Amino acid sequence: MEPVENDRENHLGGDTAADDSVIVGLLTECQLPLRLYVRSLMHGDASAGDVIQQTNAKIWEKRGEFEPGTNFKAWAMSIARYEVLNHRKRQARDARLQFSSELEQTVASELAEMNDDLAERQAALRQCMEGLKPESRELLMRRYASQEPLAEFADRIGRSVGGVKVTLHRLRSTLAECIERRLLAAGESQ
Amino acid sequence: MTPEEQTTLLDALLDGEISEADFIRLEAELVVGAEVRQAYYKRLQMELLLEEAASEYKFELPAAVDRSERKAPDQISRGTLWLAGILVAIAAGLIAMVTILSNPGNDIDDVANSLTVDTEPSATGFAVLSGQSDAVWDGAPINSGALLPEGELHLVSGLVHVELFSGVQMVIQGDAIFSIDSPMQVSMRQGRARAHVPEPAHGFRLKTSGGEVVDLGTEFTIDVDQDQSNVNVVDGEVELRPLGAQAQRIQVGKGMRLAVDGTVTPSNGGEVDLVSPEAFQDALAKRQSRQFQSWQQSIQKLQQDPRLVAHYLVDPDEGWSRTLVNRASATNRTEIQSDVSVAGDGVAGDGAIVAAARTKDRWGRTGGALDFSPMGSRVRVVVPGQHRGLTMMCWVKINSLDRWYNSLFLTDGHEGREPHWQIMNDGRMFFSVKPPSNDGLTESELKQQVFYSQPFWDTSMSGQWMMLATVYDVDQKQVTHFVNGNPISIQAIPDKLLVDSIKIGAASVCNWSEPMYRTDATFVVRNLNGCVDEFAIFSGALSADEVSNLFLAGNPNEP
Repeated sequence: MEPVENDRENHLGGDTAADDSVIVGLLTECQLPLRLYVRSLMHGDASAGDVIQQTNAKIWEKRGEFEPGTNFKAWAMSIARYEVLNHRKRQARDARLQFSSELEQTVASELAEMNDDLAERQAALRQCMEGLKPESRELLMRRYASQEPLAEFADRIGRSVGGVKVTLHRLRSTLAECIERRLLAAGESQ
Repeated sequence: MTPEEQTTLLDALLDGEISEADFIRLEAELVVGAEVRQAYYKRLQMELLLEEAASEYKFELPAAVDRSERKAPDQISRGTLWLAGILVAIAAGLIAMVTILSNPGNDIDDVANSLTVDTEPSATGFAVLSGQSDAVWDGAPINSGALLPEGELHLVSGLVHVELFSGVQMVIQGDAIFSIDSPMQVSMRQGRARAHVPEPAHGFRLKTSGGEVVDLGTEFTIDVDQDQSNVNVVDGEVELRPLGAQAQRIQVGKGMRLAVDGTVTPSNGGEVDLVSPEAFQDALAKRQSRQFQSWQQSIQKLQQDPRLVAHYLVDPDEGWSRTLVNRASATNRTEIQSDVSVAGDGVAGDGAIVAAARTKDRWGRTGGALDFSPMGSRVRVVVPGQHRGLTMMCWVKINSLDRWYNSLFLTDGHEGREPHWQIMNDGRMFFSVKPPSNDGLTESELKQQVFYSQPFWDTSMSGQWMMLATVYDVDQKQVTHFVNGNPISIQAIPDKLLVDSIKIGAASVCNWSEPMYRTDATFVVRNLNGCVDEFAIFSGALSADEVSNLFLAGNPNEP
């Protein structure tokens, strides 16, 4: 893929195409829904990160085709979906574990509309992590710092897969509840 | 499917461990259940945040067995690296714009900011702008007390005083183009400067296109243009190192001309006519005192404003008094009560200072401000009346935002129709007026009662005085946050949450008091780690111009 932005700028020039800085702004704004969308379609697949990067590159490449005034997020999500499909084709992934295309589209439109409260969630998560036992926190962070399949991870830390699975599940549920509680408290009584 | 089953399956899905049968069950639930999908999105968000947290996490215990190398998450493939470059380059230009845009919690700045809170605080720069006089910068103005940004700076006109971290003091006169390369080196393409170099900073270098000037102590002036530089030694000695020629020393009282080609000739033009850093600060102090006088006059006028409910100023002459007198005019009190068109029907009483210690105010007067950092610090106030809209303003110097909530003004507890004003630990301003009843409001509607600004504060601003203000405008149905007179975010108040009659009652400045009936001695730490020297509450909404004027009248610094 060659950088072609100079040529493109020249030939776009007029009022029809959005200028590059506008595209960057829009692209920046929709990073979170894009990430969530690709991750939701590629649940449990470690190469989701690559696909997100490819999606960004593709959006940039195709930016001349975006029509200012139309919904950028929706346009970006459609490119993301296309990239996910492409990736699946290349990887010849097991198609049995894929959402129906109808559901994939519902997810896209809902994520595009979702309120971004990631900053609040992050603050809440940080507080909630403080409440965990140090060993639990260690385990959780180790799991998220690694990209190995669960079985390998369990093996590495010398525990049974079932045991790790249950522990992680409990920790996530605890955190998820704690986050929602804190968000509610922050919205209600601060 | 029970909620417990649902979360188990979501976990399995995201772990890549789900069976086909379970996948089909879960998919069916996702298709029909909007709330199941919401749960899925929330789990995904948590997943992203946990990965983010893990990438920054400092592990204390060694892993039991560390056989596999950790793979870098989200590996960027070669073909997309150039994109990252473009994004960074263009984004740099956008940052100023993005931070102004009021799209709370929905831009990368916010996300980036929130995702880096856990790392050790850092700031960038080698020097502080200690003062300026009629300074005009090419680009955004730089506040006095702020760190000078890296890279080339263009001072179009005016005088500035720069303090490098090495101890070097410089007065620079525009039109000047220079960059602070390190605490020990400044490059200058154009302009006039006077540098005072204390002993610990001997060896300080000033680079020009024709060569460099190395200070051996203690003071010199330089005048740089595109053809040559004139160096004059005011005190001590400097070494001139022309490009490709022998270094030579210049003694006190002598001057040299250094051409861009490296040739050196004696000059007798004398030193550049520039004030020393000391004299400059004296002049600034005089200027500031003029500004102080005019602020005092503006305050007298302000205190006649019938909308002013409370105006707390710390009087340096009151010594150890624990009473913070409300200066809002007593004569207006009666007028307000008889004038129904003004929503406020009373003026606040005097405040009671608790624990907060007296310290220097923004004008440098000893005892003119309150330091709220001692544990338990607060000023207790009672503000009567019902208010159709509200404006809060304060001059504050923040040391750090190390609490989860950093208080500015909070009513006791938090009842319906009461305002809370504080700063989040990620630098966002928080303002909310609680609706009288939560009935019929959904969870997400309830969250909208809090109006957050963009993050406006980071550690590089520690110790700087600034004016914060928030306006709750019932008629326009909007909340506006201001920093130093500039609106940083404007948000609409949803109709369901609009409170047209705000009440305050018992409240605390810079802390939160839980309701009186609480007998539990344990309390959350929310006092502001910082100082305040002026606090005002207006009944009703001030216009953006009025807020801007408050700042201009009360700003001790230039610009």
